[in-house]
Amino acid sequence: MLKINNLHVAVGDNKVLNGLDLEIPTGEVHAIMGPNGSGKSTLAHVLAGRPGYEVTAGSVTFDGRDLLALEPEERAHEGVFLGFQYPVEIPGVNNVYLLKAALNAARKHRGLPEVDAFEFLSLVREKMQLMRMDESFLSRGVNEGFSGGEKKRNEILQMLVLEPRLAVLDETDSGLDIDALKVVANGVNTLRSPERSVVLVTHYQRLLDYVVPDHVHVLVRGKIARSGDRTLALELEKRGYDWVTEEAA
Amino acid sequence: MSAALATRIAEDFAATAHASGDLQRQRAMQALTERGLPTSRDENWKYVNLRPLEKVRFAPPPGGPQSPVTTQDLPAPIAQYARYTFVDGVFAPNLSAPTQHAGVLVKSIKAIGPISPHPLSTPDLRFALLNEAFATDGAQILVEPGTDCQACLELVFVATTEAKVGASYPRVSLQVGARARVGLIERHVSIGSDANFINCAVDVSVARDASVQHYRVQQAGARAIWFDTLTARLAENAKYQLHSASLGALSARSTVHVQLAGERSEVGLFSVSVGGKNQVHDTFALVEHIAANARTEQSFRGICAGRARVAFNGKIIVRKGAHGTDSRQSLRGLLAGDDAEIDVRPQLEIYTDDVRCNHGATAGKLDDNMLFYLLSRGLDRETAQRLLKWAFLEDVVAKIEVPELRRQIEQSLAGQLNEAALKELL
Repeated sequence: MLKINNLHVAVGDNKVLNGLDLEIPTGEVHAIMGPNGSGKSTLAHVLAGRPGYEVTAGSVTFDGRDLLALEPEERAHEGVFLGFQYPVEIPGVNNVYLLKAALNAARKHRGLPEVDAFEFLSLVREKMQLMRMDESFLSRGVNEGFSGGEKKRNEILQMLVLEPRLAVLDETDSGLDIDALKVVANGVNTLRSPERSVVLVTHYQRLLDYVVPDHVHVLVRGKIARSGDRTLALELEKRGYDWVTEEAA
Repeated sequence: MSAALATRIAEDFAATAHASGDLQRQRAMQALTERGLPTSRDENWKYVNLRPLEKVRFAPPPGGPQSPVTTQDLPAPIAQYARYTFVDGVFAPNLSAPTQHAGVLVKSIKAIGPISPHPLSTPDLRFALLNEAFATDGAQILVEPGTDCQACLELVFVATTEAKVGASYPRVSLQVGARARVGLIERHVSIGSDANFINCAVDVSVARDASVQHYRVQQAGARAIWFDTLTARLAENAKYQLHSASLGALSARSTVHVQLAGERSEVGLFSVSVGGKNQVHDTFALVEHIAANARTEQSFRGICAGRARVAFNGKIIVRKGAHGTDSRQSLRGLLAGDDAEIDVRPQLEIYTDDVRCNHGATAGKLDDNMLFYLLSRGLDRETAQRLLKWAFLEDVVAKIEVPELRRQIEQSLAGQLNEAALKELL
């Protein structure tokens, strides 16, 4: 589904990704781990098309299409979803309006009519229940005044409503207490299917107890330094990142 | 003010019926002649476009209103609010539905004889003198102590006359007795001609423990010149909230001066302004903290597109003895066009200790993080930008507590932003 080849990315004068290779087959969950500053979030942002990141070499294809040539909104239409590490507060735009506009944008792209208001509400209610979110969230501004945990749950809610084919979740577990972590993990597991892939960008292995990845990759200085199964995450938990960093050097 | 303009104003005044008999008007005219009108060299007037004044005839239209106005032409009424309509500054009983509310007295100034002088006189309030000299009518509103009339009055000022033929002078005096609660809506529209000269003077006085919600909507015609002077005084523990939406006119200037004269009085000034094409919207809002422990909250949101210019100068003066002052200013401008210009300016002058004054001012383009967030959810760029412009204003518009009015204003804002698609949001 996703193929990343020799990807080099710079932010200003700073070279952040330095020849990253990664392949995510359809239906798999991959965890990307790594120390601070290793390029994890940059990778997530580049996949979603955030401005300010310069791809200096390499390629990214999504179902064989050049992903990097697409605008952020086109990537969303193709089924790429970024769960933000720091979801943006947009006072004045209703949560429910954004959900509906986003869903309709995706449906329009697929040649489907706009979602029926009644169906939409029952769909959203069902997903909100799953995420243990109160209905009052719907009428509030997007992420406005939400706690850190509420913002992350809201990201997963959006993901569940949009049903992307590739979800890239950037440190969705950071700042969550154990109960919220379970709720978020449950949301991610709900989306798991043979047609979808998930990339979990995370610093800790804690999330991986609940969302068990098929593969774990360690990013060091902008390259995959080591890949393995979930036991790699457990080993990192025990030994820290230093040994991988040293090996990579 | 140029000598030619001063001469012309004096000549126009001499030709009016009041010129000989009314001492108060004569005094106003004299004061105006001595001081002159502001020019763009005056510090607090540098953003306003005063050039169109050269072509104005300052007297009210000689033969009365030029365009017959019917109820259908007026904005949709708001449930429970009694309506008083003024055409070219003159009360029009046939377009009005007077209040039946006990304790609320509304009189046409015409009916009660000579007008009272504007209580405050500072160089920035000189346009009020022009109103005083020429106004022939207006609304005098008295609210008796203890009256509870929260959905109360709506004043609709309609300008119909071309500026070169005659001017419109809306005039309002609102006196609210102790412990009373009042809601006032004030609208300014153009019907017939869209090239009017309107010069408005409003004075508000709020007695102790009283509270006033005042909504102002400026939707004058596309070629209109709209000048406005609003003064307010608050007694002990009085509350005054002024919500303004500035949408219309080619050149609009609003001068606001609020005095917090009583301890623990509170003023909220919430303004939105949307300018497009070659519009100029300028506001100067001064709040004077005179008594101790008073509060000010001031929020401005302006969007500027085309070659428009939107300016907001929010000044707070904390006088000696006004300890315990708490003031917040949040002034934000959004540039929606390369040739547009936004000027937001918070100013603080503090002459006492023990005050808390926060202020923030920003002028810029749409927030890139917000934009990317919406794009990443699949919204197309145009929709995302539209939504963010809307959200930018909504912050302040949401404070309008009359749902019908808020809806009307939101519709107008959407229209003004030229964003028909926004209406589906509402």
